[in-house]
Amino acid sequence: MFNRFCKVLPLFVLVGGVALQPLAWGAEAAPAAAPAGLDGRIQDVKGDVIRLNRDLMVLEEELLFPANTQVALFVSMDVGKLFELDSVQIKLDDKVVTNHLYTPLEVQALHRGGVQRVHLGNLKTGEHQIVAFFTGKGPHERDYKRGATVKFEKGTEPKYIELRIKDSTGKLQPEFDVKVWQ
Amino acid sequence: MHLWSRLVRESRRLAGVATIASASLAGAALAAEPPNGLVKDPHYGDSLFHFYQEQYFSSVTGLMVSQHFNRVPQHADEAEVLRGGLLLSYGLHREAGEIFAQLIEKGASPAVRDRAWFYLAKIRYQRGFIAEAEAAIGRVEKNLPPDLEEERALLQANLLMARADYAGAVAVLDGLTKSSGAQLYARYNLGIALVRSGASERGVALLDEVGKAPATNEEFKTLRDKANVALGFTALQDERPDAARGFLERVRLSSMLANKALLGFGWSAAALKQPRQALVPWTELGKRDSSDAAVLESRIAVAYAYAELGAFGQSLERYNDAITAFDRENTALDESITAIRAGKLLDGLLERNPGEEMGWFWNIQQLPAMPHAGHLTHVLAQHAFQEAFKNYRDLKFLATNLQGWTDNLGVFDDMLANRRQAYAERLPRIRAQASDSRLAELSVRGALLAAELTSAEADSDASAFADPKERELLVRLESVQATLKQLGNDPAYASAGEKARLAAGALTWRMAQAYPARLWEARKALKATDEALTEARGHDAALAQAQRDEPARHEQFAVRIAELNQRIRALTPRVAALIREQQGQVQELAVAELSRQKERLAVYATQARFAVAQLYDRAAMARDVDHARKQ
Repeated sequence: MFNRFCKVLPLFVLVGGVALQPLAWGAEAAPAAAPAGLDGRIQDVKGDVIRLNRDLMVLEEELLFPANTQVALFVSMDVGKLFELDSVQIKLDDKVVTNHLYTPLEVQALHRGGVQRVHLGNLKTGEHQIVAFFTGKGPHERDYKRGATVKFEKGTEPKYIELRIKDSTGKLQPEFDVKVWQ
Repeated sequence: MHLWSRLVRESRRLAGVATIASASLAGAALAAEPPNGLVKDPHYGDSLFHFYQEQYFSSVTGLMVSQHFNRVPQHADEAEVLRGGLLLSYGLHREAGEIFAQLIEKGASPAVRDRAWFYLAKIRYQRGFIAEAEAAIGRVEKNLPPDLEEERALLQANLLMARADYAGAVAVLDGLTKSSGAQLYARYNLGIALVRSGASERGVALLDEVGKAPATNEEFKTLRDKANVALGFTALQDERPDAARGFLERVRLSSMLANKALLGFGWSAAALKQPRQALVPWTELGKRDSSDAAVLESRIAVAYAYAELGAFGQSLERYNDAITAFDRENTALDESITAIRAGKLLDGLLERNPGEEMGWFWNIQQLPAMPHAGHLTHVLAQHAFQEAFKNYRDLKFLATNLQGWTDNLGVFDDMLANRRQAYAERLPRIRAQASDSRLAELSVRGALLAAELTSAEADSDASAFADPKERELLVRLESVQATLKQLGNDPAYASAGEKARLAAGALTWRMAQAYPARLWEARKALKATDEALTEARGHDAALAQAQRDEPARHEQFAVRIAELNQRIRALTPRVAALIREQQGQVQELAVAELSRQKERLAVYATQARFAVAQLYDRAAMARDVDHARKQ
């Protein structure tokens, strides 16, 4: 009997041995050897494609949105506890240029300090007007729609304009303002 | 348990482990976050916006474009830390290392310098340069944010473990808050390392801590189960079945590790000479999915337990059932291997797990639709497979990205051709109209008017500024005066002559009165005309300049498009070849795991056949003894 037990019992090592492996903690599970061969070539190609994308995006921008006519509109949120953003509509000189419906992930990214470039386009030199409408939920879960307007002068340099959602702790209301960067 | 629920559970577990994996990249974000969350360059905020959504490819390429246009000057160092972290996440160690080394060299602020040393240490550790990594981490001062500080301690513990200084690693980990998830993983790994190195007592103590740690979510509950399974099997190997039973009892029955725990629990009972108790977990295990090694092993374990209880007939029957099940499983594994080699695994995985971007961190959420997909749960759980599959998926993303740009460049080329044509055809026409006819004529007329005005002003000639009615009166007066002159000194017309003189005087007086204002108006109008003419000449000069410059600019764009097209054309086959190569590697990793399962099956089958032979021998011997007794 004991003899048979000895022959069979070691089987658990086949399964149990797996239990004694260190766990992968990201890329830091254990020091890996320097990338060589296939892995190294894959890293090289990734680097090449990333640099190529940069150069292509630079070309695209210079071709489609030259600096002298370029205008970029951004949306940001400072705290934003008094307003749950659902969507934004932006009119540039009475023409709708953007209608954006936000995903929860995007709202979260804005809360963490991300700034969304919501529109990139071209404008002639001279005076222009932006009207932005923000819709969402305000204090006490009420539907909330507010606008922000700004007139600005477009010169021959690119124009960057940031539409900001802020909390007014004094009024306990959200505030919407516009910052013209340059 | 239904196969599907197991798969879902497994995928959740994978997702859980990966959440921890992402901690290192989240650290990169932390390091890149602007102080007080204040973004001073909107384009830097845009990169963070993508980063926070785990769109790392968009984040790094967008950031590099912003750096090219010098749009992130207020966050220059943070942008470099973010870029370095993102490139590191894609495995671009060399470039990331250069970025961090440059930040240190240029004398960045202490906070940035500490982050750079930390990431350099991490890169060196990942590449296996332990001594160099330790040197780098030794340069980190006290300027890391708290979350990154914890990562630093974990990295230090890993470095100490790598050179078998387990006591040092324990000391570092003891200095950390025990509630942190990442340090629970580190503690677990340290425990395993200690057990393997022979320092069982300390290792078991560490694993026991993890095995009893309060767990708030599925991920940490799974980690706790894993520690308890490791403790149980270590105790079994050390021939401490009673202790093993205690550890294995802690494992949740619903856990992914329950199969292993049930198997070990049975072996603990068997080791304590309690085969009846051993049958309970093993019988339960025998009802579960047979693609699990523990379930397969339980089939012979049950037969063994019956033999131990003296139920040899039932034991023989179970052994034979097990042999049949092993054969069936062996055939299924062969089918799985054939399907994997035909590309069904990778196609199926990609189809069921679509993702937007190339990503350091990405989860396999669903298994592919394949016969015997259950075999793949263990394959997919392996770190090596996940890394290799991630590379494969990244390469597929790159191929799609390159194809997209090929199409876009075609559009850019057409757009450029249209612009060139427009400049070549329309611009000369517009310039011809402007310069040949109106502009030249207007210039001459302007000059004449200016001369006339100057002359009128010099002569104080108020009549030069007469309005149409006054001019008409002047003409009539001249006509009247000419008539009177012809009539001579006829007294009958003396009064008429006097009237004409008075009218001429009144008209001259009126024009003299209006002269200053009219002169000012005329000068103003002439100035405006000059300005308009200057502007028109400016436009014409700009058009002339454009006519000269734009073809050169278009040519530059055309050269850049051609050069970029060439780079795409060179990269496309490279990526395609790497996809094929990587596909082969990923498939072979999966096949190797299934082959190991086949080997395990072969061992089980041999054990079962051997046991069957022993049972037959025993029966034959019993018959011989009976026969001898009867004789």
